[in-house]
Parts: sequence; structure tokens; C-alpha cells
Amino acid sequence: MNRVSDEIIITENLVYSYSSEDQEIEMQALAGVNLSIARGEFVAIIGRNGSGKSTLAKHFNALFLPTSGTVRINGMDTQDPRNLWRIRQTVGMVFQNPDNQIVSTTVEEDVAFGPENLGVPPDEIRRRVNLALEWVGMSEYMRHAPHLLSGGQKQRVAIAGVLAMRPKCIVLDEPTAMLDPSGRREVLDTVKRLNKEEGITVVLITHFMDEAALGDRVVVIDQGKIVMDDVPRKIFSQVELIRQLHLDVPQVTRLAHELNKSGVTIPEDALTVEELADALSGSYRESAVASYGE
Amino acid sequence: MFRNITLGQYMPGTSLVHKLDPRIKILLTLVVITILFMVDTFTGYGLVFLFILGVILVARLPVRFVLYGIKPLLFIIVLTFGLHLFMNEGRTLFSIGPLVATYEGAFKGFTMAFRLVLLVLGTSILTLTTSPIELTDGLESLLSPMRGVGIPAHELAMMMTIALRFIPTLLEETEKIMKAQMARGADFETGNALQRAKSLIPLLVPLFVNAFRRADELAMAMEARCYRGGEGRTRMKQMKLTAGDVLTGMVVTAGMVAIAIYL
Repeated sequence: MNRVSDEIIITENLVYSYSSEDQEIEMQALAGVNLSIARGEFVAIIGRNGSGKSTLAKHFNALFLPTSGTVRINGMDTQDPRNLWRIRQTVGMVFQNPDNQIVSTTVEEDVAFGPENLGVPPDEIRRRVNLALEWVGMSEYMRHAPHLLSGGQKQRVAIAGVLAMRPKCIVLDEPTAMLDPSGRREVLDTVKRLNKEEGITVVLITHFMDEAALGDRVVVIDQGKIVMDDVPRKIFSQVELIRQLHLDVPQVTRLAHELNKSGVTIPEDALTVEELADALSGSYRESAVASYGE
Repeated sequence: MFRNITLGQYMPGTSLVHKLDPRIKILLTLVVITILFMVDTFTGYGLVFLFILGVILVARLPVRFVLYGIKPLLFIIVLTFGLHLFMNEGRTLFSIGPLVATYEGAFKGFTMAFRLVLLVLGTSILTLTTSPIELTDGLESLLSPMRGVGIPAHELAMMMTIALRFIPTLLEETEKIMKAQMARGADFETGNALQRAKSLIPLLVPLFVNAFRRADELAMAMEARCYRGGEGRTRMKQMKLTAGDVLTGMVVTAGMVAIAIYL
């Protein structure tokens, strides 16, 4: 039953529990998650430490299997072992630590690792490797040793390694957590471009709110459940609710919120510096006109 | 301080020796080693020595650098010579107390020491002219017919690749931990051997713990990229045996066998 639909990832009542070793209790990392992600979407999943966001991500390419409920990737059930390799080819995964996901001693060999595992013919692998490295802007580093690259570059190599498998969707599990600001920008720009230009579905797990604001949609997870699911603007305008979940809103949004509290009436849904600046100059002009009228 | 270490001792180059197929190079190294254990005349040794010298020159390796490779083994070489010198029966050369050096011993010791030197030189040509990746691929390809008898060729090669990949990473980490410990007053440099070994414990424990965590994460990342062992796997870079490779292999083997038989 291969239902072709617009959704690439569908989870239904996904529960994942494990028993902790020291205290014989069943812990639920995920407690009934219903989520569907459409083709070509850019979804950010946020949540504080231990909220279950990383566990959820590992269900998307069958690294973890649900305790109950189902996860379907492109119509394929992750519980069925026969689907395993096709699922992992469909959904590529980029992890947090760039050092611990690079396998080979040169950049090109590492990017080739995925397609080699899939049994792709040598000429085709070479083509894919060149193209993937071009997409992430790392072509000139082809023959470099990975340990001599910067964090951002390593992470882009990891993304290229996933791209060379021709996935429909990339899941990135806190890919920028260990990077410096310039490395973060490199990785995020790459991801955004892949989503917009190549139409690859992106699921970005993060705890940086500014990164989450890049998504078309933000899913907030807390205690193994989805608590909010909306466009970033709507999510972050609910400053108090977000704070209650021990999360932060983007800096700009927080500033707008604080300004409003101290009497400057401006819309609270600004996500970028430009938007806030426009809103502020607009409200300044209004008040100037008002005082001129007096 | 560890940033610029070279793995193995590969010296990149474009000589004929560098370009020779790694599989042929590995096999020829084995041939030379075998022959070295079969010859027992001065002429035989001399010819093998000339051959090795010739290869070093063709590969345009700095002779001094190659000879430097003998240094770590100098002790064993001297010990071998000494043991043979004193342990053989025969005409007395000189004696120190109960130890009697003999002419026969001196001869035997000299050939054994020379044999060791040639062994080291022969094998270091292989590692000096072949990159670690080529070596790994060559070994995998050579061992793969033996999978039937239980030799896990692909797994061995993958282990070598991962080891090579992580050596610089772990060295970097060692340096970082050392600095962190030194900042808190750890002393790695003074004291006797035992004290210094003890001071390494706070360095090794976090290093090992981290290595295991890395291994765990790497395994997951490899699985996520559809790694399932050597079965059905292809390689981007194919090794191609040229006629020249095969010819070189045959000519050198024939020459070596001739040395073993006639000398």
C-alpha cells in the first residue's frame, strides 16, 4: 500500500518509551506525536533539552523505531525492515558533531561513502560527489583532509555526503550547536538554499530561536508532545507562552514585546531587524504626525 | 603541536614507483621479503641491495631520509649482530671473559644484520611511496578473494580507514585535554618514569571515554548513510591494473626468484 501523497513524513500517535537503567521506570520520550510534513517544506522543530526533539528526528530515518504508533516516510512504514534502506536514502540525516560523522580521510571519499553503500556505479558516484560538493560550495576542498577544515566546512561536507544519496528530505539534528557564528551562517545559508532552489524538504532541529524563525513552519515540542505548530510569526508573537516552555523568542521579537509593554504600540510579530525597524519608523512617524496635529 | 603530523610517512610524488598499482607494490614487497630470507650469499644480498637502492633512486626519495628509517631498529640490529657474534661455535676471533667471539659468528651476525636493514628499507619504500588510502584499498582488494576462508577483508580495510581518519582528531583532543589539565596544575613532564606514567591517567581516562562516545555516534552516522558492510558496495575510485603494472610485477618477481635460485 504505497500511498503517494503530498506528505513526505507522517507520524500517527508516535510513542517512544525506554526504561531507565537505575530506576526501573518506563520513561516516555515521545508521548503521542501526530505530525505531517509536506514535500518541499522547511520545518523547524524546537524544544528545550530533553523535550524529545532529537528522539523524534531519529524516527524519521528509522534509527529509532516507535514503541507504538506509526511513522511513514514517503508512504513507507519504518517498522517494516524491508523498507529500511529506502527510507534512509529518502531521508538523510546530519548530526550535531561534525567530527563524528565524517568517515573517510579525504572530503571527496567521504561524500562518496553514502552512494558507495547504495551500490551506485563508479561514474555516477563521481558525478554525484562533484555536484553535491558544488551545491554546498566545497568543490575546491575536494582532496582536503577533513580534520583540517573549520567546523562550518565540516558540517557542509556532512550535508554534501547526505545530498550525494539523492534524498528527498534532510533532517538536521542541531547542526550548528557546536559551531561559531560564521560557521552557523554558512550551514544555515546552505540549508536554506537547498530548500528554495533544489526543493529538498528540510527538517531543522534546533534550540536557537533565530534559526527556527527561518522555517516556513515551527513545531514546538515539550515533554514528548507537540504543543505548538504554526508559522514562525504566530509562534513567536506568543512571547509569554514560549517563555513558559523555557524557550526564548528571537531577540527582535523580544525587543518588540518589551517595547509594547513600555507603551510603544508596534506589531509584535517582527522576526527580522528590518521588519522591526520598519515597524518602529512607522509608529514614530504616526506619533510625530499626531503631535504635529496638536 | 600535533597539527601537521603526517600519517605513516608517505612522501607524495609522481615517479613510476609512486604510480605503480598499490596491489603490485604490496605483492612485490612480500616477494622481496621472502627472497631476503632465502638468499644466504654475499652476492645475493648485494644484488637485492642494489635493486632496493635502484628503486629508491627511481622513486626520487631522499636517500638520507630513507636510511633514517633504520634508526628505531638500530638497537635490534646491533643486538642481533652481538648475539650471533658470541653464540656461534668456531674459530676464536677474540674473547671477553667467558664470551667468545668467533669468525663464523661475525659472518653470520653481519648477514643477519644486513638482512634486517634490507627488510626495513624494502618495506619503507612501500609506505613512503603509497598513500594510506591507496594502501588500504590495495589491501582490501588483495584480501577479498580470501573472504571465503574467513578473512574479513572489507571490515579490516574499513577499520584502517576509520583509524586513519580519527588519529588526527584524537591527537587534537589529547592536546586539548592536556592543556586543560595543565591549566589546573597537572604536571606531565617531571618525575621518574613511574610518576610520569601515573600523571597520564587523568589524560587517558577522558580520552578513552570520548573515543567510545565518538565511536557510538560514528556508528549511528554510518548507519544513517546506509552502511551495511561490504556486501553490494561499490567504490568511486576503481583501481585499474595496467599492462605496465603487470609487466613490472612479473619482471621483478622473475629477477628475485633468479637471485634466490642461482646465488
